[in-house]
Order: sequence, then C-alpha cells, then structure tokens
Amino acid sequence: MTEETLKHIKELEDMIRSCSGIGDCREAYMYSVNRIQVCPIYEHSPKFEVYSARGRLRILMSILDRKLDVSKKLAEIFYLCTTCGNCHTICHGTYSDNIDLFVHNFIDHVKVWEAFRADLFEMGLAMPRHLELMNSIKENNNPYFEPHKDRIKWLEGRKFPETAENVFFMGCTEPYRMPELIKKIIKVFDKCGIDYTIVHPNEVCCGSIALRIGDINTVKELAKKNIEAFKKAGAKRILIHCAGCFKTIKQNYPEILGEELPFEVVHVTEYLEQLLKEGKIKLNKKIEDKVTYHDPCHIGRASNIYDPPRNLIKSIPDLEFIEFERNRENAWCCGAGGGMKSAFPEKSVEIATDRIKEAEKIGVNKIVSACPFCEMNLSDATKESGSNIKVIDIFDLLDESLD
Amino acid sequence: MNLYAQLEDIVGPDYVSNEDFVLESYAHGITGVGTKRPAIVVIPESAQEISEILKVANKKKMNVIPRGGGAGLLEGVLPLVSGGIIIDMTRMNNVIDFNENTMTVTVECGITWGKLNSFLMERGYYTGTLGPGSGMSAVVGGGLSHNTVGGGGAAKYGAVTRHCVGLEVVLPNGQILTLGSSASKYIKEPFSKWGLGPDYLGLFLGDQGIHGVKTKATLLVYPRPKYRAYKTFSIRRRGDKLWPEIILELRKKGDLGLYDVFYFPELIMQALQGLLIVKDIVVFKSIKERDPKGRAVMFYTMEAETQEALEANQKIVDEIFLNKKGITAFGPEIEDGNIAKWHYEMNGHWQVYHGFWGVMGEKSVPQTGEHHIPVHQYPDLMKKFEKWESENSELLNKVRAMSGVGSSLLCDHTTVEVDSGLTIYNIPEYHEINDKLWRSYLNMIVESGGMPYMAGMRFSRALIDVSAFSDEFYSFMKTIKDTLDPNHILSKGKYYFE
Repeated sequence: MTEETLKHIKELEDMIRSCSGIGDCREAYMYSVNRIQVCPIYEHSPKFEVYSARGRLRILMSILDRKLDVSKKLAEIFYLCTTCGNCHTICHGTYSDNIDLFVHNFIDHVKVWEAFRADLFEMGLAMPRHLELMNSIKENNNPYFEPHKDRIKWLEGRKFPETAENVFFMGCTEPYRMPELIKKIIKVFDKCGIDYTIVHPNEVCCGSIALRIGDINTVKELAKKNIEAFKKAGAKRILIHCAGCFKTIKQNYPEILGEELPFEVVHVTEYLEQLLKEGKIKLNKKIEDKVTYHDPCHIGRASNIYDPPRNLIKSIPDLEFIEFERNRENAWCCGAGGGMKSAFPEKSVEIATDRIKEAEKIGVNKIVSACPFCEMNLSDATKESGSNIKVIDIFDLLDESLD
Repeated sequence: MNLYAQLEDIVGPDYVSNEDFVLESYAHGITGVGTKRPAIVVIPESAQEISEILKVANKKKMNVIPRGGGAGLLEGVLPLVSGGIIIDMTRMNNVIDFNENTMTVTVECGITWGKLNSFLMERGYYTGTLGPGSGMSAVVGGGLSHNTVGGGGAAKYGAVTRHCVGLEVVLPNGQILTLGSSASKYIKEPFSKWGLGPDYLGLFLGDQGIHGVKTKATLLVYPRPKYRAYKTFSIRRRGDKLWPEIILELRKKGDLGLYDVFYFPELIMQALQGLLIVKDIVVFKSIKERDPKGRAVMFYTMEAETQEALEANQKIVDEIFLNKKGITAFGPEIEDGNIAKWHYEMNGHWQVYHGFWGVMGEKSVPQTGEHHIPVHQYPDLMKKFEKWESENSELLNKVRAMSGVGSSLLCDHTTVEVDSGLTIYNIPEYHEINDKLWRSYLNMIVESGGMPYMAGMRFSRALIDVSAFSDEFYSFMKTIKDTLDPNHILSKGKYYFE
C-alpha cells in the first residue's frame, strides 16, 4: 500500500479520526423517537465489530496507520454495505434542530465508505459482479447488458421535442426493467400538463452504480455526457424519479466535477407536490386501500425528502395511510443499495424481508415507494417470504387518482 | 486440537474469527492510545458456551476479555497485551422474563440499555437509572461491571448496581453460578439479593470484569411516572460555588422527585456555543440565542405521580435555584433554551455527553477522568484541577490538549459525578504524550480523593500506581481474585493482576 493507493481515504482522514467510538452506529434504540436498530448489515451478520460503522472506521484508522494491510476479504466486508446512511443519522444525531453535536458534523459516513471503495476499486479489489456491471455501463451506457437504443423501446415510437423547460431523466432500471412503471410516470406527467422532454440518445447511465462501487473516473465521464445533454435540451430543471439517479445527479455530480450545476435537480414527488399545493393538479379519484410509505435512503436520509411523497399520498381521497414504525430518518433500508443487490442478492432480500414483516405488523395491504430498486427488492422479499403485501410505486397511486 | 478449532466447536464456525481485520476492529480504544490486537474473537450465545470457552482458556492460560458494547471510556475491554480471547457478548441480547408481580426484568447481559428500556417503556416501566451516557450502545453486563450511572435517572435512582437483584455469572474456571434469591432452589422468581447469606452477588457488581463473566441479570423495574417537569437555568457567575450549595439545599428538602440535576461550567458552555475553538458549530442553539456570552448552565428534570405533587415539588426546587443571585430560568420549551426537556423527553440523556466529543474540532476525542465526589468538595477539586493543568501546561501545549470539566451531575445522595478529563487529538504522533498526560491526570484524581466508578484498565491501575489501597486491602482483593481466577486469565492487567 502506498499513499497513492489510499488517496481517497487519506483525503478523509480527519473524518475517520473523529470517530468517538461510542458505537451507537452498531445498535441504538431510542424509545422517544422510534429509533429501532441502525445497521441492516450488522443485524444480519454474526455481529463482529467489522459489520458496524465503528468497527469499519477503526479498521480504516489502522490502515492509515499502516498497522493493517488491505486484502480481498477485507474489501468484501466494505462492499457488504447498503450505504443507507443510517449510521450517519444516529452518529451524534440529536433529532432536535436546536441541538447540534460536533461529531455529527465532522463525519460523513457514506462519503468515507465510498472513498474507501474508490481506493479498493483502484487496487483491483472490487467485487467481480460489480466489474461485470461496469463493463456493461462502458459498452452499453447501462448496467443491464441491454443495447443503448432500447432505452426508449417502451415509448413505442413517441417523439419528444428537442428542447423543453424540464428534462425527465429516465435512468436505466425503469426503461429496461420496469417499462410499465416508466409509462405510468409519463402518463402522469401528461395528465399534469408538464412541459418536458427526454434526451435520448444522449442520456446515459447516471453513474450511481459506478460511484457506489468506487469507479470514480467512469462517473466523471458519465456525468459530463449527461450534463451536456441537459444543456443541449435547454433544461431549467431535471425531473428524476429513480432515487439513486436523483442523489447522484443532484449531490454527487457537483462534488465530483467541482462545479455547480446550471439547472435545478428536482425529485418528481417534490415537483408534483408543488403543483398540488398550487392547485394545478387534483387527486380526485378515491382509492380504498391501506398503505404505508417506504422512504428510499437516497431521497430520504440522503436528500431529506420526506414530506412530498407523504403529502401526495395523503391527498388521495379514502386512502388510509399508516406510517411504518421506523420511518423518515429512522427508516430501515430495503437492502438493495450500494451495490448489494448485485453482489450479495440473498443478503439484500434478507434485509428487505425485515421491512415486509414490519408492514405486516402495521396491517397495511401495500407498501408504496418512490425508487425502482426498493420496489424490486421489496417485491422479491414478498415472494421469498410468501407475504400478501403488495409493493407499488407512488406513481401507481397518482395515475389512479388523477383525473 | 488448536484453539481456533476448539472455539469453533463450541460456538460454531460463523462466530469465531482470527482474521487480522476483525481482530484490529477490537483493538482500539476511544483515543487510539495503546492499541493491542487480540488473538481471537468469539461470539457465544449462551452461558454454557462461555463456560466451555473459559475452560479452554484456562487450560491454555490465555487472557480473556469479556466485551459488551465496547462503549467504556477507560479501556475496560481493551486487551492490555497482544493476544488473548475477546468474548463479544452482543449476541446474548434478549429479554428473558418480564415479571410485573415482582417488578423485575431478567435479561441476557449483552442487551443494551436502549433496547431494554424501549421494551420496558412500551409497557410503562423503566430501569430507573437508564445506564451510562452511552446507553444506546452500552450493555447491561458492562453497566453492572462498571457500577455505571449517568445515562438518566442518576439523582433519583443512583448507579445501576443498586437495582440488580439476581445474577448468573460464569466463573473463570467455567462454573456457572446463580446469585441472589435464585441461589435457593425453592425461590422461583428472583426478587432480592439479600437474605441467603453474605452479598456474594455484590462481588460481581462493579468488579470491572475481573471476577467472572456476567451472562444473565435480574433488575428491578419501576413504573415510569406520568408527570414530569424540566427547567434550565443560566448562571451568571460563581457557578462552581453555587453548585454544591444548591445540591445540598435540594437534598436537605427530602425527596423532591428529582430525576437528574446537571451543571455545565462556563468554560465548557463557551466551547459548546462556538466561542472558543470550534466557531462554526453551536451545540445548544436556543441557549446561545438567549445567552450569547456562553454562561454556565444548570438544569433539572423531575418526576411525580400526580400533577399536584409535581407542581409542589417544582415550586420548592425553583425557589432554591432562583433565590440565588444571578440565576435566571429559560422558557419551558427546547426552543426556549430548556435543554432539560430534550434530556428527558428526547433521549438526550444518552447524548448529552456526546457534546464533549469534538470540542476542539475534528479528530479531538476525550480521555476521560470521570469520577465521583461528595458535592461539598467540588470547589476544592476545581483548584486541584487548575494546579495540575498549570504543572502540565508544557506537555498539554505540545499536543494541543485541553483539560477541564464537562459537566457534573447529581448521583444518588449528595454525590456528584464529575465529568472531568482531557480532550486530545487522535493523532499518532501525539499518542505517547497523550498517554502520559492521561496517566498523570488519573493519578491526580485518585490522590485528590476522587472515587472512580468505571475504572477499566486505566483507573484500576492508577489506584495501584498511587498506592491508594492499604496493603491489607490489596492483599484481600488479591486473595479473592486468586480464589476465583487462579490463573488470572480474566481481564488480565486490571489492578495489575497479571
């Protein structure tokens, strides 16, 4: 190991050495704020320290101090993380706007995990399945080994204007794996009279997977291509549904490129909530059902978008909404993020099954989410556990309720 | 059969590891000072498994350190020397029995105070004292070993050990022993530790883990009162003198239902309010808005069974505070500066100490010297702290370390816990001096009459370093240790039992 091979964590050394070692990131229960557990990986592990954020920060400290070498086995442990950010929420997090503890400001855990993965990737220690996905992104502009031209196959020939006020960023998962969902999204856009376009064939994978795996150079290239495409379309605003794409473009692009984006990046639930508040759309049709909302980590904990999806759901007549016991910043991750679904699919579903059991406990029929990864993984868990709970997207509800 | 294979046989292959990175994750204390790597980590799920592990360790004369949440600040779970077995207790984290008739709860000792109290609070109860300040992460076994206190309820309920009426321990020779009323085969529900003879259970309370491995504990539980009050005060001056005066006045009024009483001296308040080193973070924003100078703060939380009792007690307590010159109260809500409400109602009792971490900016961590003293000694103790600081200023400056008092809180009768210590930078080049300063600081506290409660490796050795014990006492202590643990395998090095 050299300074060069550890350059990404070296940059975050102050964060790593700021760890207090208290270990609330290992397990925390707080009755008053509905905090129940922290780390989905730790809870589904034999419970050695290395499966908790504290243990991992300790290991990074030892690596920086040259007391420990990086190995393939160690790398695997660091890839066994959904990067859900629950460890950051609990780390000296007070749940009060009036009380702000130092260390919470000093450590950005997800940044540290991703930085170390960048080092691991450069050392050639990424997970083999991740490398396959990266090859597909480089060859096809998507991680699904699908031809780039098929990104708009679901549109069945529909044409879009060259320019528009809004660009709808499709992402990869919905066009290639969930065409019915993306059809519903644009159907809702059309019902709402939104001025938008798509930027095919210039749209490429957002790079979320590359970033979570640690392939920073690829993310940079993808970011530049997408930004260029957005500029070309004259967009003032990029509308995104996929939670992973949203976080990557809104938060990670400016960080990675070191520049502000010349347009707004808005989650579709934020945009539609605004239209609802302004009275421009109405959710009139009744839906008689009992649902809960699952906060995707990328738009919840990472982006602080909690109320817009809830406000939309709660505006639907007759729809009964019940919160998960663990909700908002305490929400339990679905288990799919951070490259987990591709590298550790069984563990991913195990974690998602926790969420299904929680939904059964509160007596809902459906889990609503706003992330294709959460939806897929939670659905897999319902199949695996034989649950009758249905997992749907918020756009399933919006389409049904809008005139 | 080698050690690894023997342990694998006992706990199963998933729960034993000697991977270098696994071992390294157990080798750190809070500060990075003196890290040592164990030889093997094992995560059992029953007393029987622990018994087998200890038998193997005894045969091989291997050092064993039981480890709970790993949240202790005095290196209670750090290997003193390289090698040895760490028994990670965190798989043993279940509530075994909740008995509303005896008002007790029996738990596996690897359960956290947070998990246990969430379970109890859902049912209208709590453990009274809610464990240590790190109660979200710290476990019951660690709390009982360290006589822990401070995570809520210290003024009303004292240390957690007071509430332990039953214990199952595994002795270093592997024998599983039941203590307290359940030592009688005719007593089916544990309810008291007295009556069958001497307090042998007490041998294992506050023992710093040197006598046995705690596997099961029965604790008294209490109904959580419905009526609570909280108030936070700004102290214009003379906080160090007013603190003992107020505490003694409060105590002399009898039982006022005080759950916690805290004091934050001026210097720490200034540090927390962005007035000293870290300027861009204000810890208590609503206090800063009303008191930009960063004055000292005191607060109390109080419980009662009726609104009338609450109001009557609050009147008495408020008068004691507000009759002192220069003391004013903040408003009732957290946004008015009443951090006491956060402390009680939002689990701030498990976070209030977290404010002292990072007080000198990134990489700054505490080397604690927290201890107990009778409250009237507080002003004198402050003078001793100042003297130590001046005598050690050169070394302190060399590593940019700071010493002082974070908070003090009422524990039990007239005792206060003084959260004093050092804040140091976790930088490898500083570790040697940091270590030296820490030793000297702890020695000074012991010599000043401070009473450690969570001794860990650090304070237990400081007690011996400054010859705090008489020869007779230390010999008595050693006799007991030798009897229970003739090979000195358990928590090797504490009190210099090697």
